[in-house]
Amino acid sequence: MNQRPDHKQMTTPDDGIAAGAVLLDVRNVSLAFGGVKAITDISLNVKKGEIRAIIGPNGAGKTSMLNVINGFYTPQEGTITFRGKERRAMKSHEAVGQGIARTFQNVALFKGMSTLDNIMTGRSVMMKRNIVWQMLWHGPALNEEIEHREKVEEIIDFLEIQHIRRTPVGKLPYGLQKRVELGRALAMEPSLLLLDEPMAGMNLEEKEDMSRFIIDVNQQRGTTIALIEHDMGVVMDLSDRVVVLDYGKKIADGTPDEVKNNQDVIDAYLGVPHGEEMP
Amino acid sequence: MLYRTAGQFKISYKADHALFPVRQDAYLLGFVLLLAFVVFPLTASEFTFRALLIPVLIYSLAALGLNILTGYAGQLSLGTGAFMGVGAYACYKLLTIFPEMNIVIAIAMSGFFSAAVGVLFGLPSLRIKGFYLAIATLAAQFFLVWLFQKWAWLYNYNASGAIQVPNIDMFGITVAGPRATAMTQYYFVLGVVSVITLFAINITRGRIGRMWKAVRDMDIAAELVGINLMRAKLTAFFVSSYIVGVSGALFVFLWRGAAEANLFDIPLSFRVLFIAIIGGLGSILGNYLGAILIVALPVIVSTVPATFGIPIDSAMVEHLNVMIVGALIITFLIVEPHGLARFWAVIREKLILWPFPH
Repeated sequence: MNQRPDHKQMTTPDDGIAAGAVLLDVRNVSLAFGGVKAITDISLNVKKGEIRAIIGPNGAGKTSMLNVINGFYTPQEGTITFRGKERRAMKSHEAVGQGIARTFQNVALFKGMSTLDNIMTGRSVMMKRNIVWQMLWHGPALNEEIEHREKVEEIIDFLEIQHIRRTPVGKLPYGLQKRVELGRALAMEPSLLLLDEPMAGMNLEEKEDMSRFIIDVNQQRGTTIALIEHDMGVVMDLSDRVVVLDYGKKIADGTPDEVKNNQDVIDAYLGVPHGEEMP
Repeated sequence: MLYRTAGQFKISYKADHALFPVRQDAYLLGFVLLLAFVVFPLTASEFTFRALLIPVLIYSLAALGLNILTGYAGQLSLGTGAFMGVGAYACYKLLTIFPEMNIVIAIAMSGFFSAAVGVLFGLPSLRIKGFYLAIATLAAQFFLVWLFQKWAWLYNYNASGAIQVPNIDMFGITVAGPRATAMTQYYFVLGVVSVITLFAINITRGRIGRMWKAVRDMDIAAELVGINLMRAKLTAFFVSSYIVGVSGALFVFLWRGAAEANLFDIPLSFRVLFIAIIGGLGSILGNYLGAILIVALPVIVSTVPATFGIPIDSAMVEHLNVMIVGALIITFLIVEPHGLARFWAVIREKLILWPFPH
């Protein structure tokens, strides 16, 4: 705690993909739960270093899309290529090892643990000392703990949550919980960060803070971000490219300006009487 | 003012990760250890050792094992008694087959048998949760006790069906069996319990402890931060059953001296579960506080009338006992549902601020 962390140290591990090249490629993916089609034949890609937004009305299949990307759901059809490796099925705990981290729409923190411990949990995968060392504590296990603690303190400093380091997260207000959750995802040092409605239920000030953190993560750490968000102002300001889903189908894909002026998008958001003549 | 933490600055993460970041906690523990290692043995009578000190320690250890599974990893278990039995029978068979084996090694090894059985019966936890898992562990409870009764090899085919602890020496001192003195046994148990408690504290505050708590608090999120749920849950079953098994071996070899299969039946499981819940799930200290309440209180309640010379017949004492202890348990749970450990944590927090609470 006596050191001032230098944010420039925090970088995404080199994954061998040049900036601007395709990091994640989702091709012709379809996902159905029984008769309910959540996603129908969607293709989209995420390029390294960009902020990619996925938007659409409620029930459009946005969260299902994130769940497909991080392996929580296995699509019936289509392929997912991440960092040049193609796969369809994978166990969800393997996603972190591949470099995908995410936050949840409803905050999914470990309520009984402090902020510090929650963020430390994000580094579980990188900690290797086995149970015998853990039992003895002094020596390798403690060194490892301190080494990761330093990284976590950098994140705590970055997100400006030093004052709640020891507070159990269950007692924190919603906006701070969201921030801790972002911290936990950052602790995994992902190449691709998935944010599921990072600003849901926040007031204007909290939204501005969160937007600032997202831009900083993207620019300082070079982390590629894919986010779902309902606040159109935020989406249009933050993202480099936007994909719009409606009823499980892709209806538009492009820069914020292109998407904003797309007639299908306007219809999806403002609504058109289906099957009737427009007046 | 006794608990003033002001002025205790940490200038390295190492200091911040010390066992007692607050100096007063270390003094307090030092005082408790002084009591346990020096004052009690000097003052306690044979009866106090056998009826109070030794059982409190052994039950604390069993509750610690259960607490790792239920309090830290969130997997409810009703099979603790049977797992204690596995430890006890394993220790008995090890010492029958290898009579020359050091008893410390035998007890340490018997934990592994219990751990293996625990992992086996923990496999359903990968599919089922909560009450349903509790029922699965209840099946383990019934099956194992049945096995202890029916598998005569376990008790060396003796006619009584019970296991009898022989005199066992370690470095020339009898530590178990009819010839052992209560004080030796107390020190033995205290040593084992202290070491295992230290190990348990270390495991629960590090990576593995966080992994368990993550699984307990939200298993889906745990999986998505990269925790392998299967490994986390089975590690919890392993460590928990190991500790429970060791406590079972101590239970028979260092305290009871003999055991029948039905000693490990469901009342024992519930007793340990009560200790863990009343002490506080997800706390190490709670196990000790809970064991003191559940094990020591009945003894104190039943001896108090005698010391004041009030004539009450023993059946009446039994009944009063059950009523008073039951009432106390309910009171404690209403006042502090998170157990005695939380009770202490609240007191400690208040003490740190006292006398200026703002």
